[in-house]
Amino acid sequence: MNIEFVPDGPALLVEGKERVLVVADLHLGIESEMARHGIHFSTRSRERAKRVIGCIRESNPDYMVLLGDVKHSIPFISRQEYRELPRVLEEFRKHVSFGVVPGNHDPGIERFLKEGELLPRDGVLIDGTGYVHGHTYPAPELAGTLIIAGHHHPMASLMDEVGCALRAPAYLLSLLDESCLNLPHRDDPDPPTRVLLMPAFNELSGYDIIKIMKDPFSPLSRCLIKEQSEIFLSDGTYVGSVDFLEEHGDR
Amino acid sequence: MEIVKTLDPRVQACIRKRGFSSLSDVQQQAIPMVREGKNLILIAPTGTGKTESAMLPVFDAMLSEPAGGFRTLYITPLRALNRDMMQRLEWWCKELGISVGVRHGDTPASERRKQALSPPDLLITTPETLQAIFMGKVLRKHLKNVRYVVIDEIHELAGGKRGSQLAVALERLVPYAGEFQRIGLSATVGNPDEMGRFMCGMRSFSVVEVPVAKNLDISVDFAGDSFEKQAEWVSKAIDRFGSTLIFVNTRVTAEALGHHLFARGDVEVHHGSLSRDVRIDAEERFKSGKIRALICTSSMELGIDIGHIEHVIQFGSPREVSRLVQRVGRAGHQLNAVSRGTILATGFDDLLESLVITRRAKAGDVEEVHPPKNPADVLANQVAAMVVEYGEISRDRIREIIAGCASFQDPGLLLDQVCEQMEGHRLIRLDGDRVITTARARRYLWGNLSMIHDERKVPVFDMVSRRTVGTLDESFVVSWVQTGAVFITKGQLWRVLDYEEGRIIVEPAHKARGELPSWEGEQIPVPFPVAREVGALRRTRDFSPYAARKGPREFAVRFLNDMDLNRSPVATDERIVLENSADGVVCHICAGHKANEALGRVISILLSARFGTTVGLEIDAYRILLRLPSDVKGGLVKETLLTLNAGHIRGILEVALKRTALYKWKLVQVAKKFGAIDPDADYERLSIHRLTDLFEGSVVQMEAYRELFAVYMDVGAADMVLEELNSGKIDLVISFLSILGAEGLFSNRDQIPPPTQDQAVIGTLKRRLDQQEVVLACMNCRSWKSRTTVSRVPETPVCPVCGARLIAALKPWEEELYMVANKKKKTEEERNTEIRLIRNANIVLSSGKSAIIALAARGVGPENASRIISTLTSGDAFYREILKAERNYIKTHRFWQS
Repeated sequence: MNIEFVPDGPALLVEGKERVLVVADLHLGIESEMARHGIHFSTRSRERAKRVIGCIRESNPDYMVLLGDVKHSIPFISRQEYRELPRVLEEFRKHVSFGVVPGNHDPGIERFLKEGELLPRDGVLIDGTGYVHGHTYPAPELAGTLIIAGHHHPMASLMDEVGCALRAPAYLLSLLDESCLNLPHRDDPDPPTRVLLMPAFNELSGYDIIKIMKDPFSPLSRCLIKEQSEIFLSDGTYVGSVDFLEEHGDR
Repeated sequence: MEIVKTLDPRVQACIRKRGFSSLSDVQQQAIPMVREGKNLILIAPTGTGKTESAMLPVFDAMLSEPAGGFRTLYITPLRALNRDMMQRLEWWCKELGISVGVRHGDTPASERRKQALSPPDLLITTPETLQAIFMGKVLRKHLKNVRYVVIDEIHELAGGKRGSQLAVALERLVPYAGEFQRIGLSATVGNPDEMGRFMCGMRSFSVVEVPVAKNLDISVDFAGDSFEKQAEWVSKAIDRFGSTLIFVNTRVTAEALGHHLFARGDVEVHHGSLSRDVRIDAEERFKSGKIRALICTSSMELGIDIGHIEHVIQFGSPREVSRLVQRVGRAGHQLNAVSRGTILATGFDDLLESLVITRRAKAGDVEEVHPPKNPADVLANQVAAMVVEYGEISRDRIREIIAGCASFQDPGLLLDQVCEQMEGHRLIRLDGDRVITTARARRYLWGNLSMIHDERKVPVFDMVSRRTVGTLDESFVVSWVQTGAVFITKGQLWRVLDYEEGRIIVEPAHKARGELPSWEGEQIPVPFPVAREVGALRRTRDFSPYAARKGPREFAVRFLNDMDLNRSPVATDERIVLENSADGVVCHICAGHKANEALGRVISILLSARFGTTVGLEIDAYRILLRLPSDVKGGLVKETLLTLNAGHIRGILEVALKRTALYKWKLVQVAKKFGAIDPDADYERLSIHRLTDLFEGSVVQMEAYRELFAVYMDVGAADMVLEELNSGKIDLVISFLSILGAEGLFSNRDQIPPPTQDQAVIGTLKRRLDQQEVVLACMNCRSWKSRTTVSRVPETPVCPVCGARLIAALKPWEEELYMVANKKKKTEEERNTEIRLIRNANIVLSSGKSAIIALAARGVGPENASRIISTLTSGDAFYREILKAERNYIKTHRFWQS
């Protein structure tokens, strides 16, 4: 298996028998929620959809996994979503067949999906790689695989001698504590279970990796083995281990 | 009293009854002009009867016309002034049978209802309440009666967005009332005609100006730089003079000084953060003589009547000539009396600055006031206001209305841009040329009647001591605060853990690195000409034109002598000094806050781009502190300054400013006034780190830039400094940290990150590889290995045992391979391992440390390392090759299977 980083997403192309494009956390319809919190903008759904299509064109996949939080409003579907989602998804269908692993922001997403497009909530195994949104305990069959997950919107802050030189969307690759995740015991712990947390495709969202580590908010993030965690930027640039990034704070 | 006789007999009777024996200069000049119906700007010191100059002829005219509410609007910038004016005018109105009322934010609902049904002839109000009047269906009908508008303390409004908003409001009044007479009352300003244009647009106007300087008696004193001694000096001065007003520049100083003097029992503190009742009580007690001294901030600058003031003390430099004139002008409240004031300077810079400002005050060199040109957020605010007022209005009509005021005389495409932006966030609807109101427009207006930026303060909560340790400006929090960030408040460093429940959760931090930008209160900037003159005084050391007392003069001379004794060159108007210090480089440039802000930012931007590092920036009127990595010294700053061309500053700033905290902070403020962000917006539930990016290329961004260049930075003055540097008129020397460089009190702080992701990434890579552990193993004698970090490895490592340079550089987990390679009997696989190690050592032999650095990278073995070396790159290009190799490795099957 090879992984190609698609920096203009950020998105991933997982190459095995099939070419699978992975896009996490689109959060279409975020604008109406922002407006409820007092921040008003015109919708950027069209721009995001275009960006997804750009990634499809660039990577020419056989299949696309939308890794949860395709929409934003919970618990109900907002007017903005009723208006925009059918059009955006239809646009995707024209280019590639896709499946949605539903996330915590996706209640009601079924009504916009065609048969076969809805994937299991607790994750799915495609071509030996696990896919899960990241807010649930992963399905037992994902043990011993690389699990690709969204939900955490990781960002890295690169510090230099004087201050913060860069904040950018980032990937976090980490070894998982299987028992912490309630995964079935395996006699042969090899290959290990690992997780690759993807940055959000939605350009407004992001949590600092240090915050995700310190203040975990999901089963996956609670079961990360910090000493075995590495960070990459959205073009696949290797930043270093989490320990290294933390040292560039002051402790 | 010839002029009095021209007035209505009833007004004449009142003048006699009030006991006025003669009219002041101002009154004699102004009354006939007002009577002629001229628009008038009246410039005179406080206490010269400006209000009566305007109001006596207005009363006269009101008596001769049929009655009707709102015939005269009297607009002041403050509610407190409204109350004061009400007390002052009530007597006249009662005598003359004219009804009078106050309307502003504090007016009770019952009174408001009464005013709507039977409006008073004379309404005293604020610019913001005038906005509200346009929103009331019943109330705005009365606006048709307006014949006279008097704007008091117009200088206070004209320079800012409140003024631009008021100017538009006056034009919005014209469709109801037709043309009306405009009278502006102003303190001394350097450009009276500009005031007139601000108030009248293209209409004609006259100016009456009474010079202030001859009435001023100002001296400068110095009592050492300890605060206790300064407080003692103040205490003695109160004893000597009696009723005293003590002006300080910040609320913190007001509280600190109050704390020292409260024991006397005859001193009170008065500033904007205190409740209205506390302030009014202090005013009353001062007026009635129960207390002798009032410590105040700019809150007491305007003409609120607090009785007779014998002496004004300015604690610390007043920063601006106009401020000094205005403040000292509060003393000696009788006509033609001399105003007596003393500046107590608090340090060397402060003393020279005070002397310069005093000289300029006496020479009548007061600063100019510049009304904003085309402030887009004011236009947005007024478009919303007009849309709510009319329900629906054409853009052409809006264009006609705003064209009447000077601020928007030449708006170009601005109106269309503003309308489109507002439609984007659903504040208005557009239908061709028509602009249509929405439900949100009215709500927006109620939250944004005022253009004053109402900054929410976010409490900072310390997790460790479980207490609130201070507050930060909301705009600042939104644009800058993130988990892990470090900032200073109350002289202590804090690290941000989280932002929740409306609080920033922090813990104490230890190292100063990565300090956040901060603005501890917006300070009054020292103007360019003042800072330059301070520079000239440092150069000539000739105190004769400055009427300095012996004590202060000797202190200044001693300070300069100490500089000479230490062989520290003194920066002047003709010399820039760059001092290397442990924190970075202190650039001494006598150019004032705004020019230094522009220069400091340009230098930081250029350095951050050149060295790929973040640059910390702190500035004041006489120096710029650049926080730099330890290898960047004064010489490089000098080079940057000397190669920078005058005329390029603005362009460089425009490109790079958006990476700075100052820009983000301003952008959030402007976005709020545009209605894109609600006053009570809740950011914490959303992780919107790129909020400011949403405004890229928008009119909101344009306005943030306009304001930054108009208000915070003086590019023209910065250009002038560079021109003089290039022509040799200003020379530049590099030195070590002097007492003058160490003295600096820097309050504005910002950070400029490197311009591209590339530089930040390479910087991180270098540090990671430097810290990487490496095992050096001699492949010659096979009996030496050593574990170290890459940064400690010499350029050409040599085996201490055999002196050979055939040394393999292994990753820590490869250490055991050395044993394998040294086995006597090897399997095929072990033989291959040995070959790999020898190849590794060969690369180190031919390329030394570069090879070791490359071999330390993630997934880079001998093959990749030789490929990297073979590119013959060095510096950043070399590291870019390493990044490429790491990226390639990470894409592979091998990486993801491991």
